[in-house]
Amino acid sequence: MTGLPVMKGIAYMPASQVSGGRDMWSEPLAVPPEDRQSAVWDLLHEVLDPEIPISLVDLGLIYDLGIADRHVKVRLTFTATACPCMAFIREDIEDRLLRESWIDRVEIEEVWDPPWTNDRISQRGRKALRRLGVGVSG
Amino acid sequence: MSGSTVETAADLPPDARQGLRRLVIALADAKRLMGIRYSDWLLGAPSIETGIAASSMAQDEWGHARLLYAMLKAFDMDPVQVEHERSSDEYCSPDALDRPFEDWAEVVAGCVVIDGAMSACLRSFAGGSYEPARSRVPKMLAEEEFHWDMAAAWYHRLAKASEEARTRLRDATLEMLPSTLAWMAPEDSAANALSDAGLTDGPGAIRSSFEAVVGPVLAELEIDLSTAEARSEGWDESRGRGPGGPDDDAIERARGDRNRMLFVE
Repeated sequence: MTGLPVMKGIAYMPASQVSGGRDMWSEPLAVPPEDRQSAVWDLLHEVLDPEIPISLVDLGLIYDLGIADRHVKVRLTFTATACPCMAFIREDIEDRLLRESWIDRVEIEEVWDPPWTNDRISQRGRKALRRLGVGVSG
Repeated sequence: MSGSTVETAADLPPDARQGLRRLVIALADAKRLMGIRYSDWLLGAPSIETGIAASSMAQDEWGHARLLYAMLKAFDMDPVQVEHERSSDEYCSPDALDRPFEDWAEVVAGCVVIDGAMSACLRSFAGGSYEPARSRVPKMLAEEEFHWDMAAAWYHRLAKASEEARTRLRDATLEMLPSTLAWMAPEDSAANALSDAGLTDGPGAIRSSFEAVVGPVLAELEIDLSTAEARSEGWDESRGRGPGGPDDDAIERARGDRNRMLFVE
């Protein structure tokens, strides 16, 4: 927490000001990675939930990836069936992945099985949420 | 119900496919209308907290409607057309949602009876052999747990309140029950085709599931759910409900008529 200002006992987390954390996305890779699966997971780690500034991966919304040639398929769920940010999340995923020269097409499959619960939030996500003053049970 | 899984509607015989199509539209329309009825109470509920709860419940219902309408693609139907272009007499929602709730007692009764009936249908659907339901409906049911907690608590609170509150709640409950029971567990050929194909339970099992959950709550007002009779006069088998349909205002809101020109898919 060194260097972060503290307001009333809660560490202030610098947050992105644009959808999906676009202002914090890394530059596209100069060379296509050898391990594309792992690279795509890393890229998705950069995409933040529009309402809670932690990564979609840490939030547990990405269920699976499929990569064939230059085509990436993302199996995505949402925290709620009426999530008002569905379109933004889809767009953020597509835009982040399509910045890479080695990805031509992104297909997003919406899935609901198993139903998302906060058990799916990673330990890293829980720590980030705690820093924002949000406790997660479990 | 059958242990095997039906992956797509195309794998079904015509009568079961027709029954399934009706069920999906009925559930989607019910969710869409229920959300509208809850939304009427974002302002005007007895307290800020109850208004907030109604807001959350409306949001959930619309989310469920969205998922259910999307399931109609399996029948070569366009979900956008179904959601935005039908007339009132094409809706398959419960008769009890045809008009707005007039007071908070009707909201609470609707939350217990109508939302409870929808959940009984969904439990049966999730436990059946249709894979798209098995993979989507559990999330809806998880979100409905909160609705039920609120519904039961509100019902209990009103049932223990004034005599007028008890009377209004009892009248609203008894008014909604007969048509809602008929909608929830139809006894017609479309419903029989569904249960015969293992896609849902039969009407008796759906009704038992409903009674097990809702019965103890209604008993607070000495309403014996086990003796309540379904009303099916004028039954429209093509829609799985009675005659008529939702009021014009609700349909215009459900279709998004006012801002249709601004709709972006």
